[in-house]
Amino acid sequence: MAGAPIAAKTALGPIKPAPPPHPVARTVLVTLAVSFLTIFILVPLVNVFVQAFAKGLDGYLAVFWPPQPAPEQVLSVVQQRKLAEAAVQAGRTWHAIGLTLSVAAIVVPLNICFGLAAAWATTKFNFRGRALLISLIDLPFSVSPVVAGLVFVLLLGRNGIFGDWATHLTWIDPFSLRWVGFEAGFPLAFERDYSGVIFTPLAIVLASVFVTFPFVARSLTPLMESQGTDEELAALSLGASGWRTFFKITVPNVKWALLYGVILCTARAFGEFGAVSVVSGHVDVNDTMPLRIEKLWNEYNNQAAFTVASVLALLAVFTLVAKAAIEWKAARDLPQNQGHSSQ
Amino acid sequence: MTIEIRNISKSYGDNKILQNIDLKIESGELVALLGPSGSGKTTLLRVIAGIEQADEGSGPVLFDDVDVSDVDLGKRRIGFVFQHYALFKHMNVFENIAFGLRAKPRRERPGEAQIREKVQTLLDLIQLGNMAQRYPSQLSGGQRQRVALARALAVEPRVLLLDEPFGALDATVRRELRRWLRRLHDTIHVTTIFVTHDQEEALEVSDRVAVMNAGRIEQYAPPQEVYEKPASPFVFKFLGNYNLFHGRGQSGDGAALVRPHDIVIHRDRDSAGPDARLGLVSHIGFGGPVVKVELETEDKTHVDVEVTTPTFNDLALKRGETVWFALRTQQEYEYDFVI
Amino acid sequence: MSRTHRVIPGLPLTLGYTLFYLSALVLLPLAALALKAGQMSAPEFFRVITDPVVTASLRLTFFASTLAALINAVFGLIVAWSLVRYDFPLRRLFDAVIDFPFALPTAVAGLTFANLFLKDGWLGGFGPRLVEGVNALAGLTGAGPLLPSGALDWLTFPYTGQTGGIVIVLVFVGLPFVVRTVQPVLLEWDPEYEIAARSLGAKPATIFARVIFPEIAPAWVSGVALAFARAVGEYGSVIFIAANIPGRSQIAPLQIVTRLDDFQYAQASAIGVVLLAISLLILLVINGLESFSRRHERTA
Ligand SMILES: Nc1ncnc2c1ncn2[C@@H]1O[C@H](COP(=O)(O)OP(=O)(O)OP(=O)(O)O)[C@@H](O)[C@H]1O
Ligand SMILES: [Mg+2]
Repeated sequence: MAGAPIAAKTALGPIKPAPPPHPVARTVLVTLAVSFLTIFILVPLVNVFVQAFAKGLDGYLAVFWPPQPAPEQVLSVVQQRKLAEAAVQAGRTWHAIGLTLSVAAIVVPLNICFGLAAAWATTKFNFRGRALLISLIDLPFSVSPVVAGLVFVLLLGRNGIFGDWATHLTWIDPFSLRWVGFEAGFPLAFERDYSGVIFTPLAIVLASVFVTFPFVARSLTPLMESQGTDEELAALSLGASGWRTFFKITVPNVKWALLYGVILCTARAFGEFGAVSVVSGHVDVNDTMPLRIEKLWNEYNNQAAFTVASVLALLAVFTLVAKAAIEWKAARDLPQNQGHSSQ
Repeated sequence: MTIEIRNISKSYGDNKILQNIDLKIESGELVALLGPSGSGKTTLLRVIAGIEQADEGSGPVLFDDVDVSDVDLGKRRIGFVFQHYALFKHMNVFENIAFGLRAKPRRERPGEAQIREKVQTLLDLIQLGNMAQRYPSQLSGGQRQRVALARALAVEPRVLLLDEPFGALDATVRRELRRWLRRLHDTIHVTTIFVTHDQEEALEVSDRVAVMNAGRIEQYAPPQEVYEKPASPFVFKFLGNYNLFHGRGQSGDGAALVRPHDIVIHRDRDSAGPDARLGLVSHIGFGGPVVKVELETEDKTHVDVEVTTPTFNDLALKRGETVWFALRTQQEYEYDFVI
Repeated sequence: MSRTHRVIPGLPLTLGYTLFYLSALVLLPLAALALKAGQMSAPEFFRVITDPVVTASLRLTFFASTLAALINAVFGLIVAWSLVRYDFPLRRLFDAVIDFPFALPTAVAGLTFANLFLKDGWLGGFGPRLVEGVNALAGLTGAGPLLPSGALDWLTFPYTGQTGGIVIVLVFVGLPFVVRTVQPVLLEWDPEYEIAARSLGAKPATIFARVIFPEIAPAWVSGVALAFARAVGEYGSVIFIAANIPGRSQIAPLQIVTRLDDFQYAQASAIGVVLLAISLLILLVINGLESFSRRHERTA
């Protein structure tokens, strides 16, 4: 059930008229609710930023850009070593950021394609086993992230079922563009060529695909189901091709739900910890941002851990703002559609 | 173009929705598919359009004597108007109408200027010339309906298929639009089938009416014939109000169906004729040109009678009076029957 | 709504792609788990999951998850009720942040809670920190210290490294489930029934217990079940705040990781199968509940 989003149909309206609340009950309940949410959500969120800025703005920025000594400055050996260490740490942090982005850049498009295909198949057609297929698509939400990592180790690890094949697999950095004949490219963070799957970034991609698998499909399915097939049939009867119908009619009709699914998928791809941790082998080069946070924390580098965490926390806040904006947009579009295609 | 379907059946699981339907529509005809809800009208229309596939063993669907059973929806060149219009929500009126033109393969696609001109012509035809930039959500039901029609006409379909085109509109707009549709059909003469469950609409607009019941066509004839010579009790009942008389005829028990306006009320027995019966005026309902009189016979059955207002005034009926009534015509008799 | 087979194109392509992608990336890996666990004999499997370290971890996972689910059951209901029924300042903000645990990476959650509940953290050392803060404020205004130091030393929650900390992060990750399943039902509920019942002289508490609660109970139970299931599988946030001592404070998912690190694949997969079975069981229960309440609705 890791992070299963619940349908966005919870938008609060104005308070409905009800019998006057008991004033004591009201005060007690609201106080409890507000304190609970404050302690469990607001304080932890604020704390991320407070700890990240524990050494001020300079300390915050130093996590990414360690201070450079002026050229003429004479440094003691200890100072030099400290600077070198800071540079190494910052390099690892940047690497983690690059790897996180690279993984998301592969995972999210894959799951968008899958989500669109799955939603099309399950909502525009009726076939035997359709209900089963829909529940299978939701399955990854019910699997513990650690188990999600474990299954790939058991499948592709050294003693895994396809272990022999997988450990001899060699593959090149997908961002290097060497696979299409270019030497250069934008090596975000894969950086080199690999052999094997488990304990390489490829395994991180696989584990991330697994845990973010249902997001897009699940946010599209209810909407596409309720929209029926009339508009598609109308387009086809006018001579449009299947692809044209899909891209010009279906996709625009579900664009907000699609965006919502993509945002959730991206947030989860950035933030996944358990599954990725299991297949990463705890090697520095396989650290994504969440794994990097754990390493910094284990090294007692509290402020740096929180600094990296603050970036992810900011993304989470952005996710919520985007969600609210999409709900608002979709709600604004909705009344217009009513009475027009309501069945 | 002519449309002919032969022996079409369609079932969903064990439910037989259409059963051995035959239908032939002449070129340029406007045909109404009339029937109660669930009788299979939409299904038949969708089979003709190619949206739905007829069962194995069904006969062909012929357009101009060419079998199109295996031709895709998009290649049949039909214009289909959905009951809820299915306008593209995110496109304005212009883009909706232009959609089919822009979707044509490059070789057949008209230039942008031609598309504009064509859409403008259609907009004028549907009398929405100044609403090209509006979105479907900004149109009234009747306007949406006309846009849907224009969108279907833009690709110059060989056949126009309309599923309850006025079903979602209020009574006045319905009446206005169906006359407009008739006039439109008289100008463009494209073979048209439209589905309705409103008998008045079907009788008023169409060249021929196919009355459907439980997956079968009960009668297929011009409106007047359907009304005056209903082929079955179902058709008779579906086309208007009726009285049901039970009695004994020459060849056994039977029943007769009689329209309320085919019953004549008389004050005295002599003018009423030999078959007249007695009735007590139990209710009088005024309704403009006709007055609805409810009679109660000796065996406590109710008989609905409609008389024109002038006749009613001449008779000067009052509640509680006893009068004679007789059947004006014999042709509604269902079975061999005497009162 | 009639679905049409042949007319809308793309079924073979999209269904084929869906099935392939699903099989390759979800079903096949899960089958690998089943296969690996299946290679063990039954007594062997039993021995692994009854190993004291493993049973201790399963017990801890269950205990902490149950407690967290119960806390969420109570507070989730209070939060949902307050948000739907009462107007209060920042109501919409509080509603929006409910989804925060879905959006925040678990590692960040674990990190910040671990820090907050340290002995001298904001919440771990709540009493002393409060005294400090109040005195600092008083110092700014020129007055002397208001509270004697040590006045609130009893008011501390040093849960980092303790079971309490595990429960706290599990409450956090499960928080949205109860609220977000109960909320739609409450939103749909028409308070006119209450107005009617009140006018007949019923007490508010009676109305809640007899009329409203039965209405929201199925959603509430599924929300609690979802929160519980999520807590059982949770890993990222817990390992930051727990002491992670084998046999004492290791949760079950961490046992899997430990076994994997020792290359004990069979043992890891045995524990994995147990966890997977639990989540599937809960999924079944929730589906059953939903179809029950749907049937109930229809007959009502
Ligand atoms: N996809 C389907 N699956 C199963 N049954 C269907 C399906 N589509 C239609 N039916 C059934 O077929 C019968 C005829 O449906 P159809 O829509 O053709 O009726 P209709 O005459 O158009 O009625 P209405 O006036 O209500 O639109 C109905 O009983 C309906 O329940
Ligand atoms: Mg219909």
